[in-house]
Amino acid sequence: MSSRLGRLLLIALALVFLAMFLVLPLIIVFVEALSKGFGAYLAAVSDPLALAAVQLTLLVAAITVPLNMIFGIAAAWAIAKFDFRGKSALITLIDLPFAVSPVIAGLIFILVFGGNGWFGGWLQAHGVHVVFAVPGIVLATIFVTFPFVARELIPVMQAQGKDDEETALSLGADGWQTFWRVTLPNIRWGLLYGVLLCNARAMGEFGAVSVVSGHVRGLTNTMPLHVEILYNEYNVAAAFSVASLLALLALLTLAAKSLLESRAPELRRRAHQSRDLARRERV
Amino acid sequence: MSISLRQVSKRFGSYAGIADLDLEVPTGALLAVLGPSGCGKTTLLRIIAGLETPDSGQVLLDGRDATHWPVRDRKVGFVFQHYALFRHMSVFENVAFGLKVKPRRERLAAAAIAAKVGSLLELVQLGWARERYPAQLSGGQRQRVALARALAVDPQLLLLDEPFGALDTQVRHELRRWLRRLHDELHFTSIFVTHDQQEAIEVADAIVVLNKGHIEQSGIPGDVYDLPRSAFVHRFLGQVNEVPVARRDGRAYIGPLDISANAEAAGDGEIALIRPHEIEISREAGGWSATILAVRVIGPIVRLELRAEGRPANEPLEVEISRERYAAEHFGHGETVSLRLRRWQLYPAESNA
Amino acid sequence: MARSASATNKHPNKPRPTIPGFGLTLGYTMLYLSLIVLIPLSSVFIRGFGPGLGHFWDVVTGARVLASLRLSFGAALIAAAANAFFGLIVAWVLTRYEFPFKRIIDAMVDLPFALPTAVAGIALTTLYAPHGWLGGTLLSLGIKVAYTPLGIVVALLFIGLPFVVRTLQPALEELDWEVEQAAATLGANAWQTFARVILPALWPPLLTGFALAFARGVGEYGSVIFIAGNRPMKSEIAPLLIITKLEQYDYAGATAIAVAMLVISFLLMLAINALQGWALARHGGR
Repeated sequence: MSSRLGRLLLIALALVFLAMFLVLPLIIVFVEALSKGFGAYLAAVSDPLALAAVQLTLLVAAITVPLNMIFGIAAAWAIAKFDFRGKSALITLIDLPFAVSPVIAGLIFILVFGGNGWFGGWLQAHGVHVVFAVPGIVLATIFVTFPFVARELIPVMQAQGKDDEETALSLGADGWQTFWRVTLPNIRWGLLYGVLLCNARAMGEFGAVSVVSGHVRGLTNTMPLHVEILYNEYNVAAAFSVASLLALLALLTLAAKSLLESRAPELRRRAHQSRDLARRERV
Repeated sequence: MSISLRQVSKRFGSYAGIADLDLEVPTGALLAVLGPSGCGKTTLLRIIAGLETPDSGQVLLDGRDATHWPVRDRKVGFVFQHYALFRHMSVFENVAFGLKVKPRRERLAAAAIAAKVGSLLELVQLGWARERYPAQLSGGQRQRVALARALAVDPQLLLLDEPFGALDTQVRHELRRWLRRLHDELHFTSIFVTHDQQEAIEVADAIVVLNKGHIEQSGIPGDVYDLPRSAFVHRFLGQVNEVPVARRDGRAYIGPLDISANAEAAGDGEIALIRPHEIEISREAGGWSATILAVRVIGPIVRLELRAEGRPANEPLEVEISRERYAAEHFGHGETVSLRLRRWQLYPAESNA
Repeated sequence: MARSASATNKHPNKPRPTIPGFGLTLGYTMLYLSLIVLIPLSSVFIRGFGPGLGHFWDVVTGARVLASLRLSFGAALIAAAANAFFGLIVAWVLTRYEFPFKRIIDAMVDLPFALPTAVAGIALTTLYAPHGWLGGTLLSLGIKVAYTPLGIVVALLFIGLPFVVRTLQPALEELDWEVEQAAATLGANAWQTFARVILPALWPPLLTGFALAFARGVGEYGSVIFIAGNRPMKSEIAPLLIITKLEQYDYAGATAIAVAMLVISFLLMLAINALQGWALARHGGR
């Protein structure tokens, strides 16, 4: 439609923009990580404190993701298979964490479980540590990441409708059998997709975790927090070394995402449309 | 505007769109391009409009080589099959669009634009809908808006791509009359594409029959219907009965009927194509004996299905007679009658080129 | 009428849902949401207004707090607007043109989604610092990026990039190409076709993408904290101020700011929602 020159100009503009804001930041992570040589890189990532951070990150993800997965399935089932008043309010509620700053997400758990908080007295009396300890980190991470699985599954299950489940029921299956044998296979790509995004966010969450963690080295530092500490100590190469692990995780996530999207094209950009879905339902 | 196509070809991958096509369209003609799906008729139209470029050949508009002119420079009005109205604009704004995007020098004043749009909307009887949006209109109304929009820029050539395909029969009928009337009033050259032979015959001054990228025949509707030059055209332009021709002892037969008077050899294994109204049916003996299988009264005509002697049961002949004749003679189911042929045309058996 | 083998229908006029699990799933969903979202969030409002409306107002209108709020919302607005503009170009180019590595670049657009914010933060800071790859060049042009409000905008640009592009791509793909051809036959040139025919259809998704990028940018912490100067009154974002007050055990102050952020965000979202509704009604009309 437009002239060749116009077309080339637009492509060039888009590519320059993407290079400045997308590609270069990614490249610089790896360049800086290796800036002191491969030996220093290995030392940084195998440092005991770094390893402790990796362990904690994996632990938090291992707890958070399955819990959110169950929530996502339950919420999507309720929303997709039934009609009830307040459905669009529920969908908006599920979207809530996206509108809340991660710092506020951390703050609310301090307000509830912190020493000065609602349950603070009770917890202290029983020697249970929530904030400034792993449970607090898990809670904050759950808050920030629970919409991901739900938002993927809701449109997928809505698109699939009730036919398959009703058929299974009419053939004599009960609820659980229907779910395991009929629903789950149908939604597996959407589920995987949501779990993938949930995991990436869970491992990378910074703001919320920063508030509730207490920054105790070796104990309550996740990988992103560890990166921050190293960077603030001007240990730049080490900071980027640990960061490169997270960047690799991000690239893996993107690759897996692409793969899933080519398997199930309807997943593409589904996540960004669920807000419109909520709106259309209101209308 | 007159149009000349010289040896125009366009391929789509391995699929040949149109091949070495020549066409002359004089100024002021209303031409129908008729053919089955995939015959290349839409491609042809889009090449004339400039929405596609031919691989080879020339497109001349008023004698000037316009083969590589961009679509905006051709001053051609195009009406799309699915109307392509601007959803976010009102009917008025849709029709005014072409007038509003003209370069400053050529643009009319706002008042003049409004007046012109108004008169066009009156012309298509949609003056009352000027503030409505396309989503609020019916298919037929949308098509009229599309027509008015295309006419707003005073095109000398109007191209319509299966304009009435997506509409109800009644609406189609009305819109065909519209088009004919508008054409006669405004004197532009018009080419429309259709797969409906009825439509082509009813509306056009001339018909071009296309098949697999080639022109099979062109001419006035009467000629294309009555004097088809190929079995394809014959079959496409109306109902036909197909009967094999037998030659014995130097004479030609269709069934028991001797047709040697008009039976020039047309090749091996010939078939004869006969239109339903070209078969005469009577109770007098001596013709081709046939049993009436079914009688259907269809509006002004009556269609009879007959099993002719010597023909298999699942290949009945179809004969059409007028209501009056039927009322007079009362042919009935199961009756044995006698057939004679008024007209027929012979083709080689394998011809469906 | 068939009698089901299960419990009798107490509401004969309401059809009983045939699929089981409604109570279980909805109940679990509401429980989860209450425990994780509703109750904790309510704590902010209760604690924020606990000491009284007057105290709340004092905190929120303090000069430092106001400056941080202005910065957080202002930078997010600018970044979202820039993303709307560039995002449109990127989405257009990805949808309509072919060029080498297009598939990889398309996949990369999701990078800000997948990359942890802290990693993005240190990467962008190093990139745009006075001695950084881009920072150095820009400095010679007289533009200082890192440790200034401009750095904050850059970080938020990164964060919000996918939102606009990903909401626009499906909309662009769904555009009726026949309509564009119709415009061409009526004499419109490329720009007129874009401005009058294509852009109006893109307003709803553009606004959606803008709103998402804006909402995300307002509360952003991890990617901003490194590149901002973090100087009070100048380059201190609101989330940082919340943390500072927390470290000083000023719970009331921290929650007051949090409440202010939530309320303003909510109001802005309502406004953008209304704008979207208008755009959808005006231009949607399927």
